[in-house]
Order: sequence, then structure tokens, then C-alpha cells
Amino acid sequence: MKCIVVTPEKTEIDRDASFVVAPIFDGEYGIGKGHTPVVARVGAGELRITSPEGEKTSYFIEGGFLEVSGETVSILTDRVLPPEKVTVADAESRLQRAKELPQTNSDLAAMKEKALAGARGMLAAARKWSKK
Amino acid sequence: MAKARALDKRRKSIRNIRKITRTMELVATAQFRRAMERAVSAGAYTQRIAAMVADLARAGASVSHPLLEERQAKNGAALLILTANRGMCGGYNSSILRKGHHRADELKGDYEKFRLLVSGKRGVSYAKDRKIELAASYDQFNDKPQYDDVVKIADFILSEYLAGNIDRFEVAYMKFISVSKQVPVVETLLPLSELAADDTADGSAGAKGAEYEFLPSPESILEEVVPTAFRVKLFKCFLDAAVGEQIARRVAMKAATDNADSMISILTTTYNRARQGQITNEIIEVVSGASALQG
Repeated sequence: MKCIVVTPEKTEIDRDASFVVAPIFDGEYGIGKGHTPVVARVGAGELRITSPEGEKTSYFIEGGFLEVSGETVSILTDRVLPPEKVTVADAESRLQRAKELPQTNSDLAAMKEKALAGARGMLAAARKWSKK
Repeated sequence: MAKARALDKRRKSIRNIRKITRTMELVATAQFRRAMERAVSAGAYTQRIAAMVADLARAGASVSHPLLEERQAKNGAALLILTANRGMCGGYNSSILRKGHHRADELKGDYEKFRLLVSGKRGVSYAKDRKIELAASYDQFNDKPQYDDVVKIADFILSEYLAGNIDRFEVAYMKFISVSKQVPVVETLLPLSELAADDTADGSAGAKGAEYEFLPSPESILEEVVPTAFRVKLFKCFLDAAVGEQIARRVAMKAATDNADSMISILTTTYNRARQGQITNEIIEVVSGASALQG
């Protein structure tokens, strides 16, 4: 199975995997070999890729889409960060900024909701990694 | 000797200029290659988005979204002009500014409120010289525009659009067609005209023919795809502009180097002639002096 992660700037990750756990809009989503074709919205959080040798690698990804077709998992995301670049302080200041966004109409409220969800996902991932 | 020396001095300074233009040409070539690579690798994302839209359409999701609808209201419009931070790139900046300025005048007449945004120091100083009011100016974009920086602008525009402050958003930039051809264009980004940015991607996506499961629903994914498509489109404009700038600079610097070359060869000929003339003169003087003594 192949796991490809693409950002608008470039293809960040392109390698073999035996198992992929991706953060989607309502929780984590595990994809193994022979998974049914799926298109899903990606949330913010930890992406775990298990290599065929059983080695696990984590990344922080945020927003975008996940597509499973055949033996390929492709993730289109806005941002990919290695765990060491995600800090609790950054995530907290982002959450603060998201809380201050206006929500005067339904579209703006939806944007605020998204910003909040992104910041919370980042905070959760940062807290998890800072404990290690 | 005075004339020959002056010519030699001039030739030397042209040689120095030639060195500089030649170096700039090489730098621009390298940067162009890098910018081009970035533009190509960004294509992977656009193609996949387009493929996904095709899949969604086949799954029966009705393609409607506030960003796709043409608005009747003519309250406000915004135009973003992408220029370079530096000059020395031939007619690159002036051709975009001419195009952008023309469009700005049209929009000003059609819409009640008009806002002009400019990226690049060249454009900012152009507006300053003509006392044109700018709603925002950006100069953080150089030959490597970052997606995160572009998203900040895109999200600002999106929120203004959704709040109803602007009903139309256009971008004036240098569109990349091929290495030898770039044209200044004004493109409407909001409302988005079509989602599939690359029409080539549709065919390849359709060939797969897999039945997808959509989480949470095709509509919800579409809701997310539309703003993403807008951001990516804007990012593509920035990438195209960066490529165009480097090509324009390379061409301009190549022309400058060639001009310096031909100037040097003309000056060399004139210098040699002047030197020869001088030597002839001196010999004549010596000979006539000697013959005067003999006589």
C-alpha cells in the first residue's frame, strides 16, 4: 500500500505503508490493506504511518481531504509538520486568535468553527507529543 | 593619447556592466528553474483536487456553493495586482500594471466601492507616484511564494466576500503559457467560474471508475473543496507570476549582455583605430623632425 501526502506546494510524503491512521473530521480513521474506496474530509491532528517493517512515523496535518482508491492512500492537506515543530504555546495562541474571530453571519461562523477545530486539533497533538 | 584613453576607460566600464548583467542572467536562470519546479510540483495538488471534483460530480453531488454563484449586487469589488519586488526585468512590471490599471478604472465605474490590492514593491511605488489609494500592499513575496502567506490573503478575501463587502475579486498577473510566452491577464477568482482548474485531470479520474464512500457526505466535502480550490488558484497565480518574473529578468539581462558585447566590439575597433592613428602621427612627427635636422 502506498501513502502519498500532497500539499499545494509539493508532494511531502510518498512511500510504502502497511497501516495509516489519519485524523478526519470526527475522529481518527484507520486504513489497512484492501480498504474500500473512500473520500473523507481531513481534520487537524496526528497522522500515523506504519511502514511495512512496522516502524511508526507521526506528522501533524491540517485540513484537506483523504482519498483511498485501490492500494493508494492520498491525502491532500494544507499543512504537514513534523512533531518537533508543533508546540503547545503555538497551538494555544492560535486557539486564542480563533476565539476572537467574528461570527456575524453563517458563513463567517463556519470559518470560525473551522479555525477553532484546527487549533484544538493542533493543541491535542502538541500536548500528546510534549509528554513524550 | 587622450581620445584612446577615454575610449579604453569606457570599454572597461562596459565590461564591468557586462559582468553584472551576465551574472544576473545566470542567477535569473537558476531561479527560474527553481520557480518552475515549484510550479510543477504544485500541479500535483491541483490535479488531484480536479479529479476529486469529477468524482463528486459523478456521485451526484449538486455543485452549488455561495462562492460559485454570480452575484447581482454591485456593492464592492477588489483587484489584486501581482508585480515584482525588483526591477531589471524588462517590461514585466509595466505590462502588468498597465493591464491592471486599465481594469481598475473599469471596475471603479461598475462598482460602488472599489479596492485595489498590490503585491510587490514595484506596484506599490507605481500607485504612490500616481497617488492611487491602496487597500493593502504586500511585499513579502519574492521568487518563492509560500502557500501559508498566500492563504492569509485568500482567507482575508474570502471573509470579505462572505461578509458581502466585496462581490467580485480579480487578479492581474503574468500568466505562464510556455517558457517563451507569458501574457499579462486579469482573471476573476471570485465568484469561481469553474472548479476543475485543469481540464486534463477529468479524463484520467473518470477512467478509474471506483465507487467512493464519502465521509461525511458528498455535499460536505464539496463545501470544503470550493474554498480550497480558490486558495490553490490564488497560489497558482503567485507561482505563475514568480516564474514569469524570472523569465522576464533572464531575457532582459540576456539582451543587456548581448548589447554590451556588441558595444565592446565597436569600441575596440574605434580604440584600435585611434591608437593606430596616434602612432602614425607620432612617426610622422619623428620623421619630419629628423628630416628637418638633416636639412
